Amino acid sequence: MAAIPREKPTRTEEEQAEFARYKADVKARGKPFYPYAMFHDTIMSLVVVFTIVGLAVIWKWSSWGVTHDPTHKGLLGPVVDPPANPGTTSFVPRPDWYFYFLFYLLRIFKWPESVFLGTVGVPTIALTLLIALPFLDRRLVRRPSARPVAMVAGVLTILSMAILTWKGATAQEALASEVKQNIPRWKAQEHLPPAAYPGVELFATAGCTACHTYDGAGGSNLGAPDLTDIGSRNLGIAFQEAHLKCPSCVNPGSPMPPFASLGPERIHQLAIFLEASKGTH
Amino acid sequence: MATFRRKPSKGELRRQRAEEIVMFPLDWLEERSGLIGGVKYFLFRNVPSDINWMQTLGSAALTAFIVQAVTGVILAMYYTPSAATDPHTGQPVAWESIVNISDNVFMGWLVRGMHRWGASVFIILMFLHMGRVFLFGAYKYPRELNWIVGVLILLMGMLEGFTGYLLPWDQTAYWATVVGINLNGTAPILGPWLAQFLRGGQEISGETLTRFYSLHMLVIPGAIIALITLHLYLVVRLGVTSPPWSKDAAGGDPEEAEPERLRPGLTRPVPRGAGASAMQAEPGGRQ
Repeated sequence: MAAIPREKPTRTEEEQAEFARYKADVKARGKPFYPYAMFHDTIMSLVVVFTIVGLAVIWKWSSWGVTHDPTHKGLLGPVVDPPANPGTTSFVPRPDWYFYFLFYLLRIFKWPESVFLGTVGVPTIALTLLIALPFLDRRLVRRPSARPVAMVAGVLTILSMAILTWKGATAQEALASEVKQNIPRWKAQEHLPPAAYPGVELFATAGCTACHTYDGAGGSNLGAPDLTDIGSRNLGIAFQEAHLKCPSCVNPGSPMPPFASLGPERIHQLAIFLEASKGTH
Repeated sequence: MATFRRKPSKGELRRQRAEEIVMFPLDWLEERSGLIGGVKYFLFRNVPSDINWMQTLGSAALTAFIVQAVTGVILAMYYTPSAATDPHTGQPVAWESIVNISDNVFMGWLVRGMHRWGASVFIILMFLHMGRVFLFGAYKYPRELNWIVGVLILLMGMLEGFTGYLLPWDQTAYWATVVGINLNGTAPILGPWLAQFLRGGQEISGETLTRFYSLHMLVIPGAIIALITLHLYLVVRLGVTSPPWSKDAAGGDPEEAEPERLRPGLTRPVPRGAGASAMQAEPGGRQ
């Protein structure tokens, strides 16, 4: 029995016909992978290996080679960083460069309302779209000129990734030595009582400003809130101490690391300072 | 088989014997596994005749991964994943072993440098390869699954970056990981559990280091190798796409309703319609 003739082939039939034609074409008039394609692949692979060796050599010789000091910053950063010390407090959390776009994304979204968008929301949506791409774009045509929507979307994605990476790379780091210069100004503008003086010194040197801003200084990384007038919320010394010891215990989901290693005395000093920060009016 | 009219010379006999000796293990292997046939198919399968340099990015990324695997194995021979303090120097053991690799081990600085920078090269090449596939529309039917496998390899590569970053146990590594894990912890439902699992406790410690080490050199590389194998299998099975602007091997634009192509040496009536005059103008049959 003859099948009922259809006017138009279904999409699946079209796809299969196209692929069958591709297979036949390549079989009839393609060229063998070895040696033609393999020749290009080999050259490219050699370039890759030489690039990697070159980077390793530049890393070593622009750092250690010039100064005989592995902590020298060289062209590609120091060969050896100081060892991890959970007790230190002056640090700048900085991932490897290919995470800069995520790192900077967290500066755009602010704790607590929208930081979730930066840490989970946007990356999840982006990844879902990436995986779903072949199912969103099912037309057979492959020429870039015939795919304006895909091309514009692609260029926008690359641009935004590049800008976020660039902004992440050049993001200002608040170094303890620079932040310390603000202390006299803070004391005057915030009308800090002398009891808060040990706390303000700690605040400037303990790495808080790597993420938090305070009266115009500091980093605003990872969606950390501004602390200029945190004291006007009257959260209380006990809350501040509990929060510093274990932020996520008090604020579930907080990305702030625990500072219990500072010790109870210094945490108390910091809490006094934070409660005394009533803003600059 | 060729039959010799005359008696074969000594040289011919020797060559025949040498050939048999070389071929015996290959034939043995082929008979029992079919692997030789597989390799032959891989090497001599046809690819479109107009593939271009952009299409070497995939194999370039594979090369970068192989560099990572080889240098990683060498590093693992000298690296100690321990956050304990060395009683003689007062420094963490893991950090000291990295300094030792950089300063004392023969060519250790090169191996570590290649691993450190090879990671970046690997990630860049994966992104470039992905960009090429996107530009060529090579993720379309029937290669959708291979696109997804590729995205998973990219994800795994970035996880390798995240877990490997902690291993030198220096200040940058430590604090970046503290924050990184805290960010994982903000995810709903699984987040806190995942953060707890990665840390191996409430705070980052030696247990975090051994966990990251195990993930970095066993679990994730294993997953990447499996995914790359699947990726390559699909490439060989489905074939390499030609550039989208080529009218040649992969066929042109179906929306242009291209008439059936004339092959050189084949006599067929020229179909009536839009393409006919163009075909007559170019005797090769290519459009």
